[in-house]
Amino acid sequence: MSNPFENADGVYLALINDEGQYSLWPSWAEVPAGWTVAFGEDTRQACLDHIEANWTDMRPKSLIRAMGE
Amino acid sequence: MSQLEDILPLSPLQQGLFFHALFDEAAPDVYTAQLVLELEGPLDVPALRSAVAALLRRHANLRASFRQRTNGEPVQLVHRRVEVPWREVATADAAGVAAEERARRFDLAAPPLMRFVLVRLAPGRHRLVFTNHHILLDGWSTPLLAAELFALYGGAEPPAAPPYKGYLAWLARQDHAAATAAWGRALHGIAGPTLVVPDLAGRPPADPGRVRAHLSEDLTGRLTAVLRARSLTLNTVIQGSWALLLALLTGRDDVVFGGTVSGRPPELPGVERMVGLFINTVPVRVRIDPAETLAGLLGRVQAEQSDLFAHHHLGLAEIQRLPGLGPLFDTMTVLENYPLDAAALGSAGAGPGAEGSLRLAGSSGTDATHYPLALAVVPGGRLSLRLDHRPDVIPRADAIRLLNRLTRLLKTVAADPDRPLARLDLLSADERAHVLHDWNDATTPSPSSVLSPVPAPSPVSSATAPASSAPVAVPPSAPVAISPSAPAPPLALPAPPPAATITAAFAEQVARTPDAEAVVSGATSLTYAELNGRANLLAHRLIGLGVRAETPVAVLLERSADVVVATLAIAKAGGAYVPVHHGHPADRMSWVMADTGAPVLVTDRDPGFGHAAEVIRLDGGTPDHPREEAEAGAVPRDDPHGDPRVGTHPDQLAYVIYTSGSTGRPKGVAVRHRDVLALVSDRRWADGHRRLLMHSPHAFDASTYEIWVPLLNGGTVVVAPPGELDPATIDALVAGHRLTALFITTALFNLVAEEDPGAFAGLREVLTGGEAASPEAMRRVREACPDTVLGHVYGPTEATTYATYHRVSRVDSAAPPIGRAMDGMRAYVLDGLLRPVPPGAPGELYLAGSGLARGYRGRPGLTAERFVACPYGGRMYRTGDLVRWSAGGELEYLGRTDHQVKIRGFRIEPGEVEAALSRHPEVAQVSVLARDNRLVAYTVGTAAPEELRLFAARTLPEYMVPSSVVPLDALPLTPNGKVDRAALPEPDVAVSSRGPRTPAEELLCRLFAQVLGLERVGVDDGFFDLGGDSISVIRLVSRARQEGMTITPREVFARQTVEALAGDGRPDARSGPEADAGGLEVLLPLRAGGSRPPLFCVHPGAGLGWPYSGLLRHLGPDQPLYTFQARALSEPGYTAPSIEAMALDYLDRLREVQPRGPYRLAGWSMGGLIAHAMGVELRARGEEVALLALLDAYPGEKIDSGGREALPGLLAAAGYEGPEEMGKVLEFVHGQNGRYATLDEQTLLAVYRNYRNGVKISQEHVPRRFDGDVLLVIAAHGREADILTAADWKPYVTGTIEEHTVACDHEAMLNPEPIAEIAALLRKELT
Repeated sequence: MSNPFENADGVYLALINDEGQYSLWPSWAEVPAGWTVAFGEDTRQACLDHIEANWTDMRPKSLIRAMGE
Repeated sequence: MSQLEDILPLSPLQQGLFFHALFDEAAPDVYTAQLVLELEGPLDVPALRSAVAALLRRHANLRASFRQRTNGEPVQLVHRRVEVPWREVATADAAGVAAEERARRFDLAAPPLMRFVLVRLAPGRHRLVFTNHHILLDGWSTPLLAAELFALYGGAEPPAAPPYKGYLAWLARQDHAAATAAWGRALHGIAGPTLVVPDLAGRPPADPGRVRAHLSEDLTGRLTAVLRARSLTLNTVIQGSWALLLALLTGRDDVVFGGTVSGRPPELPGVERMVGLFINTVPVRVRIDPAETLAGLLGRVQAEQSDLFAHHHLGLAEIQRLPGLGPLFDTMTVLENYPLDAAALGSAGAGPGAEGSLRLAGSSGTDATHYPLALAVVPGGRLSLRLDHRPDVIPRADAIRLLNRLTRLLKTVAADPDRPLARLDLLSADERAHVLHDWNDATTPSPSSVLSPVPAPSPVSSATAPASSAPVAVPPSAPVAISPSAPAPPLALPAPPPAATITAAFAEQVARTPDAEAVVSGATSLTYAELNGRANLLAHRLIGLGVRAETPVAVLLERSADVVVATLAIAKAGGAYVPVHHGHPADRMSWVMADTGAPVLVTDRDPGFGHAAEVIRLDGGTPDHPREEAEAGAVPRDDPHGDPRVGTHPDQLAYVIYTSGSTGRPKGVAVRHRDVLALVSDRRWADGHRRLLMHSPHAFDASTYEIWVPLLNGGTVVVAPPGELDPATIDALVAGHRLTALFITTALFNLVAEEDPGAFAGLREVLTGGEAASPEAMRRVREACPDTVLGHVYGPTEATTYATYHRVSRVDSAAPPIGRAMDGMRAYVLDGLLRPVPPGAPGELYLAGSGLARGYRGRPGLTAERFVACPYGGRMYRTGDLVRWSAGGELEYLGRTDHQVKIRGFRIEPGEVEAALSRHPEVAQVSVLARDNRLVAYTVGTAAPEELRLFAARTLPEYMVPSSVVPLDALPLTPNGKVDRAALPEPDVAVSSRGPRTPAEELLCRLFAQVLGLERVGVDDGFFDLGGDSISVIRLVSRARQEGMTITPREVFARQTVEALAGDGRPDARSGPEADAGGLEVLLPLRAGGSRPPLFCVHPGAGLGWPYSGLLRHLGPDQPLYTFQARALSEPGYTAPSIEAMALDYLDRLREVQPRGPYRLAGWSMGGLIAHAMGVELRARGEEVALLALLDAYPGEKIDSGGREALPGLLAAAGYEGPEEMGKVLEFVHGQNGRYATLDEQTLLAVYRNYRNGVKISQEHVPRRFDGDVLLVIAAHGREADILTAADWKPYVTGTIEEHTVACDHEAMLNPEPIAEIAALLRKELT
């Protein structure tokens, strides 16, 4: 079975949630509640590149706030 | 005149049926078709019989028989005349006659292959039972024939249909090459067959079961309207729907099934009236594109299929040969657009019905296939669906479910053809509720707990016990969220609000039970208050060194109470602990240090690898006590034992554990406090997990369970003694430390189950998991320990150790399930379109809910790929594990969706091993996979296999080093250009070996193969060359004993090959006074053969040379290897007077094997001193010494300070672990009922005496000066830094001293990991 997240030729989105966490997401799938499209549609690699470039602090936002930064 | 009118070839489908009929001549032929006509009214029997005779006259092909020419080619022989197959019976049991007729096979060589039986039920009531072999007629032809029959009966002479022969001629004219090319394109790139019953082969044919469904007229109408509007055919919707169901059923997104085509070429005039076999079954391949809509898929399928229309004449066998994957499918669909009803027949000819004298009241047909599933669709006012299934492999209930699913799908096509496939719900409401909710709700009893015969309270029932009986550290702030009795959170809702941290939970526990035992390690025992104090002290030091919230702190510690202290201290300081595995190569450890950027390393040794961190050494004072030293300045003077009171958020990181990464570098799983608490507060631990054994390496995530489940629940961490766990140690710990529970890996569990399944008795619960479980091992343990709960656990590090749990009760032959999600966690089994799959269907396991790690530290891309948005709330981790739900709602593990493998419980990404090997300059291409639990590398390039293994060992942990490296000219590729992993050859480990010749050799070959996980072993193969080690020796000996053959581990060490072990005669090398010493001879050849100059290794203090056998496989089959062993072992009472005397004694034997230099010598520990002395003497005699390797050997005056006892190491290598004192050793051995009697008592005593004497003569020994170079290998761990350096040997060596260190301690030098490194060093010198 090919995994929907592993299609090198597929069209993807980069989703983001309230905590600033990212998720790769196949463009054909419904965007789950609590997530919005941060980037895409684009190639898988472009979405991952976007995530690499923008998700620089991997702590959830609520934690960043709680840690007082 | 010849009896034969014609000799014709067979059509492709006829060929298929012909060979199918030959396949099994005894069973009922499923290709026997039948039509039963109900005749009402007066019947002219002779006229009907004449009509049958006329049919046979008119259609030559009905008179055919089938035979094979001598060259194997089948032909059909058309006979001029055949007997009219007519029988009349008078009985009321027409059904019985019909069944009997169906059961009676046709002999393909005896024409005609059709029979008529007229059953007279009563005057004016008849049944005409028409039975034929499918090879003559297809389903379309039957009604034509019936209509013609009644036309003839009525006296008409219908126009002659074109003969079948014309069709065969047409076939011969077809462009075979074009058809082949078209099918080749259609099937290009197919990954594998689509089989609903993959193991069907070999089962006897079975009569099909049948289930039916009818769409309502309304639905049929709406469906028809939609199809018309979209220009889609009914056949297309049937094929598209079947493809979607098949994809769900098999977990594939590229499916193939058989489609029946009429096979009647329109360009042949009158083809629609022809009688014969035209029909063909061709593969229908449907790729599921998740981005498509339902109508989009159907349109594409229709277009793809119409392109193939002109090529339907190619035989199935020939088509299937094109992709070369064997049979491509085992299901089929057929659209029966030749309805067999009275009206059709009545209109087919001027039958008697028209006259009103004879009426055709009804008909029924039987026509079946050998496929496990065959869907037939009959058009009409109410679309009729019929699913034939083989009841032996597809139960009726499953067939009904499938048909219901199909009906729902057709409803959706009618109602909403533009729905995206990803939003297509193929599950029933019940199925959906089960897989998404009920089976994820921790309050729903799972079958295992319901059925469990174990008398102890089940985990579920204990949940209702008062909270006081389940002491879990619960901070008052949020008692509900992590209370052990709390139900799982409602589904599709976010996880409960932050509940607690490790530090808060621990503080609660200290306040509650300050004097309870928290940790016990050997003789050391710490109360909660004491542990708290020590951890606080260390936490202050960490803070003093700059550790703050989420600061990574590396930990490299031997298993001890210090591990618990340090782990807790790091949490208290707010940091995240990063356990480093001491067995890993220095490069890897350095890499982890750099990757985390850990500013502090807490350790108990000289790390022996490069890093930039501040080091806190815990081995300064007593072993279990942090040394207070210079850095103490950082500790507040007022209350160094007080809590540092660092505020920690539950979302902060608790630890980072590294796991293999497919892209070539390990990835650090970042786990939060919240996740640890989620694991710790699972209700399953509430009962029985009080005194837990800590034995897993700190760097593996089982340590999370082993440390925090007891500590945060008020229990006790029982630290296992050093070394590997074995059944005897478990026995001793359970009794000696009142252990109540432990986790062991599948591999170790299986070993215990085999060796001593009762070892767990006395435990409340044993958890095991990590690899595919052995039902046999589980059954043995259940039987031997009926009062011990057996928990089968599953979980990736990313889901905090355990994600699912199954309480094993009954064990049958199937692998036990992995159960259901732990409390608060949710398990989803989704298909390639991210839709939940029904029970029984394979899908990928996704985990959501509490316990899901934050992600991979510093790897946002990788994290976003694996921790993805969850359609049911929050995030979910995609495990890459293929599972399915059982009917009862338990997850069953099926395999991986990627290449990840587990070897001895270690999770390995072959991609990481490939990356490591491809860094070698002489490797052009590499592919790594696991075969029989061993890692095999396939390489293209000029690098030698042995060199590559050594190269890999420098950067990879021992378990990631391939067992075999197979050089290939090129890697096989799939049509898509990827490495065709299935086509990679088996590594031929025993290529040059001879097979067994005696029963004893036969048995041993089999046992070798079993124990080593090989397919076959020859009589010349050396046990250690094939990968055997001291543990597998024990396994071999115990298996042999079970089979009635007595061999000892000693003999295995000494003789190694099947031939030598099985034979009565002694191997040639045995001669002289110690000929019968059985492995204790002074000069023991570990491998006598080989073209290279031999290497001689001298025994360490205890006198045995067996541990050097570990060098064999690393040095290669070409390298002769000998070991000297102390004479005291083979000559009782002998005591060596000095090292010099030993050296001279051995030189005599040395020169028997190799009369002249250059010589190659090595020695571990005291053996180094002896080897050095031998080297000195050889040089004095004018001989050359090409290699003198000293393995952690100490010159004279250093013996006292550095002289670790070699005995424990030696015993370890021989299969022992544990006590060092000789008395205890003997006691230990006696206590094991001979289970570990590798050495008899006398030998052990000799070993011990020899060892004592060795220490004495070593201390007395003053080395002379060796004229030459020395290779010095130093064990880096477990002792003071710089106790041994090249400088110590400098006075005794004229030449250079090449110094190397290996990351192990003295005793462990010849263990599998270090010995690989040492072999690499030696090999360089030996070439």
